[in-house]
Amino acid sequence: MSQPAIEFQNVSKIYGGGPMNRERVEALKDVSFEAATGEVCAFLGPNGAGKTTSISLLMGFLFADSGEIRVLGHEPGDLRAKQKIGFLPENFAFYKHLTAPKLLRFHLELSGQPADRPDDLIGDLIAKVRLAGYEDLRIGKYSRGMMQRLGLAQALLAGPQLLVLDEPTSGLDPAGRKEVLDLLLALKSEGKTVFLSSHILPEVEQICDRVVIIDHGKLLRSGTLAEMLSSGNRVEIVVDQLPETVEQSAVERGATVTRDPHGIKLVVDRAHHRELIEMLWAAGSEVLRLNPAQSSLEALFLQTVAGPKEIA
Amino acid sequence: MKIRAIAWNTFGSFLRNKVILLISAIFLCVLLLFSTPLITANAMRGSMTAAQTEGMVLSMLSVIMGLVSGFGSLLAAWAAADAVAAELRSGTILAVMARPVRRWEFLLGKFAGVQILMGVYVIFLVASTYIFASMGGESVHAPLWALIVYPLVRYAMYAALAMFLVTVMHPFVAFGITLLVAVLSGIVVPSSGTSSFLPVWLRSSLYVVLPSTGLLSESRFLAITQASLEKTQWTAHLTALAYGLDYALVLLLLAMLLFRRRNLTGGTAGSL
Repeated sequence: MSQPAIEFQNVSKIYGGGPMNRERVEALKDVSFEAATGEVCAFLGPNGAGKTTSISLLMGFLFADSGEIRVLGHEPGDLRAKQKIGFLPENFAFYKHLTAPKLLRFHLELSGQPADRPDDLIGDLIAKVRLAGYEDLRIGKYSRGMMQRLGLAQALLAGPQLLVLDEPTSGLDPAGRKEVLDLLLALKSEGKTVFLSSHILPEVEQICDRVVIIDHGKLLRSGTLAEMLSSGNRVEIVVDQLPETVEQSAVERGATVTRDPHGIKLVVDRAHHRELIEMLWAAGSEVLRLNPAQSSLEALFLQTVAGPKEIA
Repeated sequence: MKIRAIAWNTFGSFLRNKVILLISAIFLCVLLLFSTPLITANAMRGSMTAAQTEGMVLSMLSVIMGLVSGFGSLLAAWAAADAVAAELRSGTILAVMARPVRRWEFLLGKFAGVQILMGVYVIFLVASTYIFASMGGESVHAPLWALIVYPLVRYAMYAALAMFLVTVMHPFVAFGITLLVAVLSGIVVPSSGTSSFLPVWLRSSLYVVLPSTGLLSESRFLAITQASLEKTQWTAHLTALAYGLDYALVLLLLAMLLFRRRNLTGGTAGSL
């Protein structure tokens, strides 16, 4: 098995608590997870969950109080790792006096590459993120969406193996978000690893292989998307009518009941579905549909974050 | 290549820094105001004795050059403190440090950017020395290299001090302490006599610890009248400059050491 691209082992981070800043906040508590090479890993959590702290630790901007982090086999901040990482921070800030080509040339130099390459790498990247035509405009005059596109261009600049993206679609219109998702899918097909945090879960669900959910600095769940969405192993039964006695029995067997204009939906564990269907038939109800329950990442996330705060 | 890129980018940011531009504009206006009495004194040469006129012109020149030199120290301290703090404040440092750049390379690049700014300022300082002397009807007799190198080394000391302080404290505090050090280092010089209120042990200790900016003052070699021009041995130049560079280097190394483990994000609960 190949080495994980990202590895967190029992990582904890505490802010404050010292003589200068007495307010002690445990930003991360014993967090462990992995992201395999070539995967798109979604790093999810509500605001204040510890996502930005984790990403800052991963990038070597902060230092963990305990635990170990490995990025592409190296410690965070190691130059060998940083050479292969493209990073887009949340609320990306740029030197406002520069233009996009100048900024990208500056970052190219910081990557140890000559600013004036024979190929038109910078021009191509600018076109790729739809900023062509704005080459002479100072970044200070860019809109939020344009800044985000430029941030993506600089993250892709040095041909990274690992992309760490903190809210990559933030500030983009629906068309822009779609483009970013297509871009991430293209990068995934090239074998690149993508580690991204986002609040737009339906979009994340389209592209991610693995999901890590944290809240209040604690890891709540981590695993592949397929595992997570099928983890309930539940069945959805849609019926035309539901007698009260059957409903009560269904609820006693752990079923959830929802009513909408298309019928009455019962979601129950696979272990009880045959028994429940027989009860429904016996009570004169007609089963209109029987499907494996389709969970969504958003539902899973909400259920996980609202549920007991324990590691899955 | 990386350090050079950071240095030029830092210099470019300074040229568009509104605080620096505003203070420079105010300073330029003050200088222009000072030039009026200088021209007047020169025009009154016929109505006063030559010695009186020369004395008046030289004292005015001394004030102007002191102002220009002192403003340079302020500029060096502020630019160095703000160069790093502004990056941390705005978050621009994150994209830079995500690149294969070592922390010391970043700091050295910032320091080099400040030195480029101070290099431009020193050219202005030297030019203004000649221009104001000419306005007063006098000529400057001093080795040109000393007028350039000495202030550059002095400003490097202040910049390194401010950069060292700003790695652990707020830029305003770092700037204030640098200014305090500059003032104290001027008054604890044994020959100045302005620090007689301090106990001898404290004065002596401060004199040893604080940067000896008097030693690095170009005014030691700046003579408006040929008669007062003193010859300085090259060993004396070498000693003074090595002292200044050593002081700056030690502070810069300390800054790099502290910056190695510094949090680059806000590091507060708000940035979770």
